[in-house]
Amino acid sequence: MINLHNVSKSFSEFRAVQSVSLSIGEKEIHGIIGASGAGKSTLLRLMNLLEIPDTGEVEVNGRLLTRLNGKELREERKSIGMIFQHFNLVANKTIYENVAVSLKLAKYPRKKRRERVLECLQFVGLASYADKYPAQLSGGQKQRVAIARALANNPQLLLCDEPTSSLDPNTTAEILGVLRDVNRTFGVTIVIVSHEMDVIKSICNRVTVLADGKLYETLTIEPKGIRIIDGDPESFVKQLTEDGELNNA
Amino acid sequence: MPEVLVHYQMEIWQSISETFIMVGVAILAAVIIGLPVGTLLFLCRKGQLFENSIVFSSINLVVNVIRSFPFLLLVVFLIPFTRLVIGTAIGTAAATVPLSIIAIAHYSRLVEQSLLDVPRGVLEAAVSMGASVREIIFKFLFVEARSGLVLGLTTSIISFISYSTIMGVVGGGGIGDFAIRYGYQQFKTDLMMYMILIMVILVQFIQFTGTTVARLIDKR
Ligand SMILES: Nc1ncnc2c1ncn2[C@@H]1O[C@H](COP(=O)(O)OP(=O)(O)O)[C@@H](O)[C@H]1O
Ligand SMILES: [Mg+2]
Repeated sequence: MINLHNVSKSFSEFRAVQSVSLSIGEKEIHGIIGASGAGKSTLLRLMNLLEIPDTGEVEVNGRLLTRLNGKELREERKSIGMIFQHFNLVANKTIYENVAVSLKLAKYPRKKRRERVLECLQFVGLASYADKYPAQLSGGQKQRVAIARALANNPQLLLCDEPTSSLDPNTTAEILGVLRDVNRTFGVTIVIVSHEMDVIKSICNRVTVLADGKLYETLTIEPKGIRIIDGDPESFVKQLTEDGELNNA
Repeated sequence: MPEVLVHYQMEIWQSISETFIMVGVAILAAVIIGLPVGTLLFLCRKGQLFENSIVFSSINLVVNVIRSFPFLLLVVFLIPFTRLVIGTAIGTAAATVPLSIIAIAHYSRLVEQSLLDVPRGVLEAAVSMGASVREIIFKFLFVEARSGLVLGLTTSIISFISYSTIMGVVGGGGIGDFAIRYGYQQFKTDLMMYMILIMVILVQFIQFTGTTVARLIDKR
């Protein structure tokens, strides 16, 4: 699905990504983890050419994005969804319009738009919020809208930059659940950048470890599943003691 | 109705209509030219979509130079240009030229500032969805900045009214000119006060309308 060949990206002298080669297979949920500043976001943004690599080639869905002209690249981007840490919804558009705009950009047939928007909102459980504005939603709900917007054009690939990093643990679990459903239901390949180990371990089946802009290792793992933390006090006690070291004699 | 107003009502209506013409043309210039210039200024800034330091610095310099002229000197300085465009440098039509120039410079700066308030991430999301520059501007940038654009225009219009009051020097007329010629120079203080009152009411009305519209369209 994605092939990066020796891509590098510098920001005036600073080498953010250094000759990374990476293949991500179809229907994978691929995690990218590393310390803050390791170049995770830059690597992800190279995948839809939001950052243009200084050297190397980016291939998505069999097309070399690095060889396309502006118009062709815009067309390709319409089948690559992307979500962000801060959601990036248009605050002055309703939830409905936020999803509809991605259909408009892709020239989705006007008559079928309404149905498609509601279908996507239904999928993320927010059909009844269509007429509200983002400011009236919680963080988790905003991220769901962003997911609906990214899915509207039936992308084969969804890029996620720290999608849960500004959410609390329960909302994080919810969003991870939605992402896993997107992968299972529609067979969408997902790339998730996160600095949180729990997030990566819960749903990813392959993981790339990045350090100082270089690919350190790529490994295949068994997803651990999403842990829902309920508000029940006993579950807090259980988590606090689960490593077996009980010192309160 | 006070007698002095009745006596001068023809001249008063005339001067009000001159003010409306001068300010109206300035508003059109601000929206039709100032808005695109301000948008270009924003897009050419460092780190923005069209990053281009040559275009940015040139426009920036021109805008600053126009705005640093004392307005009266700008009017005089532009006389040859005005004559070229309108055919004469005297009268209400001629007065609209310097007013339009200052209007473009004034509003384009406020446009640039409003656009800077749009979160970068929103534009980035637009790019990631495959939006063209035109689509980014009209479907994202202006939508997100709309209340700032309205407030900026409100501030600009009030400045244009203020600038228009000195257009008497090139025979532009208007309320301000009338207040000075009839009220001040002919010692009709009451007439002058009535003219000031008209200006105050006009400015209040514009500010109220602008603030209300900006609030209603702001969903952030
Ligand atoms: N647009 C940019 N201009 C300058 N430096 C940048 C830019 N984007 C990223 N960087 C630098 O590149 C490095 C990697 O950034 P990033 O990919 O965001 O890291 P991560 O997502 O792993 O925290 C950081 O040191 C950051 O400061
Ligand atoms: Mg990052």
